[in-house]
Amino acid sequence: MALLSTESLTKRYGHVTALDALTVTLEPGILGLVGANGAGKSTLLKILLGLVEPTAGSATLLGFDTGRQGVSLRQYVGYMPEHDCLPTDMSATDFVSHMAQVSGLPRGAARERTAETLRHVGLFEERYREMRGYSTGMKQRVKLAQALVHDPRVMLLDEPTNGLDPAGRDEMLDLVRRTGSEFGISVIMSSHLLGEIERVCDHLIVIDAGRLVQSAPMATFTAATGLLAVEVEGRQEPLAERLAAEGLRVRPEGRFLLVGLAGERTYDLVRDAVVDLGLGLVRIEQRRQTLEELFREPGAVEDRDAVLA
Amino acid sequence: MQSSPDLAAGNIYDLGYRRYQGARLGRRQAVLTIYLQSLRAAFGLGRRPAAKIVPVALVVLALFPAALRLGIAAATDQNIRIVEPANYYSYIQILLALFVAAQAPELVGRDLRNNTRPLYFSRAIRRSDYALAKLVALASAMLFMTALPQVVLYVGNAFAGSHVWPEMRDSAPDLPRIAVSAVALSLFMAAVSLAVAAQTSRRAFAAGGIIALFVFSGTVGGVLVEAGSALWNRLGILISLYDVMRGATFWIFATDPEPESQLGRADLPGPLYAALLAALASLALVLLLRRYMRFRP
Repeated sequence: MALLSTESLTKRYGHVTALDALTVTLEPGILGLVGANGAGKSTLLKILLGLVEPTAGSATLLGFDTGRQGVSLRQYVGYMPEHDCLPTDMSATDFVSHMAQVSGLPRGAARERTAETLRHVGLFEERYREMRGYSTGMKQRVKLAQALVHDPRVMLLDEPTNGLDPAGRDEMLDLVRRTGSEFGISVIMSSHLLGEIERVCDHLIVIDAGRLVQSAPMATFTAATGLLAVEVEGRQEPLAERLAAEGLRVRPEGRFLLVGLAGERTYDLVRDAVVDLGLGLVRIEQRRQTLEELFREPGAVEDRDAVLA
Repeated sequence: MQSSPDLAAGNIYDLGYRRYQGARLGRRQAVLTIYLQSLRAAFGLGRRPAAKIVPVALVVLALFPAALRLGIAAATDQNIRIVEPANYYSYIQILLALFVAAQAPELVGRDLRNNTRPLYFSRAIRRSDYALAKLVALASAMLFMTALPQVVLYVGNAFAGSHVWPEMRDSAPDLPRIAVSAVALSLFMAAVSLAVAAQTSRRAFAAGGIIALFVFSGTVGGVLVEAGSALWNRLGILISLYDVMRGATFWIFATDPEPESQLGRADLPGPLYAALLAALASLALVLLLRRYMRFRP
């Protein structure tokens, strides 16, 4: 069963179109929702939660219609909003336990799950203190905990690393990744940072100005590029000439020689050439494309053209 | 989930995250939770000690007229009939208004201020469930201000006399009237105050607005009453929320107001007050619900 499917999903705020006839079907997994600020990521998540009504079209999450079956659906959904949403004068334990009961858990189970979940997100002694003194990192953990405490089948995370320092960012991403992969809870996570999505998600949805740009498994974005990066100690040029003579495509790039991969034999040719020329082989690896490069490329090309002209 | 022995030994406390297989009680549990938490919050329970002072003090003060009458009865052996069930609410009307003014913002304003509403509305409830749970919670809390003093007065009266049971039996017809009037006034004041409090996250504005509504509607009404003609007189009574509450209460107790009082001179039919009370409460409820229906996170 598909995790999520939308059909011509449209949302307009006055003259602003936040979502423009979005049609997409997604399988369970850890899904990354990427787009610039204002691309419609938050709007999509809020429609799935029934917080916002679509202007047109429909959406189905976990097989429930988000409009008509919202109440049944939301038993199995956890939501972490982008902005602050925690009462400052409650402790994390009291608050998360309260939200667990609002999610339908009996009182005893709510207490037990709260302790487990707060431990899972890495909140220990602090959880008995009022939340007004919490750091951003601790607040983000509590927000994640309240989305997780009722053991949802899918979590919708809106910019979960918002406002975190690099270390906090890493921890939050690891937590999301672990929760998604070890416990089989589907995750739909929005971010405007490709690097984050790349580290955590196994499927990528790109939206821009409310339209679907791309939806594909992460692997297709970061697939091997068919290039070998070779780094040697000593001069590159003889090696480049030698490999070109063997009929391989060769291009220098900084300290590396990029060699077109033509079957397994290419590795042997490179090795033999390096040995014959008496060079030291530092590194030989298959070049992977990163998401950042993928999205930066059109702009980069234009820049280069501009410089040449 | 895999667990290696080393890991388990190293992290004795870390049982780790587990899937939940237990009961999910759904919407019923959600509404009950919001109701109970709001009821506790109305008395500052689960909050810092300072939050308890105002509501508890008001409940104690609301008991004062009953204590006064019982005290006089005990001291003088005379059962003076000044503080009666039908006019009890009039003696404590400002306390009633102060209670909803202090606690209605506490119930709805906190979620507004802290932006917690998206967390509630993204769970297995309807928005109307949330609003109604808050309304019933505040009305329940108000019963401590309305029904409790009446019950104390009723029981105290019976024990003050020499014949407890005959006294209780004689005034037994008051019991359903006490129940109906207390529930009606509590719901009315809760609905009006929440409708005001839900419009602003600023606590002071909400509290001020609620007090103003109850007190100034009385002032404006009083000015109209003094203005002269019988028509203005009656209009003035109907504008004053306190007078509408008083008129409805007299009707519920099947009592006539003092002929020389403003209410007596207006001489309006009792059901009119009751109908107006119900209409105003409904209007307030609509405003309250609309506020949450229109909320766009």
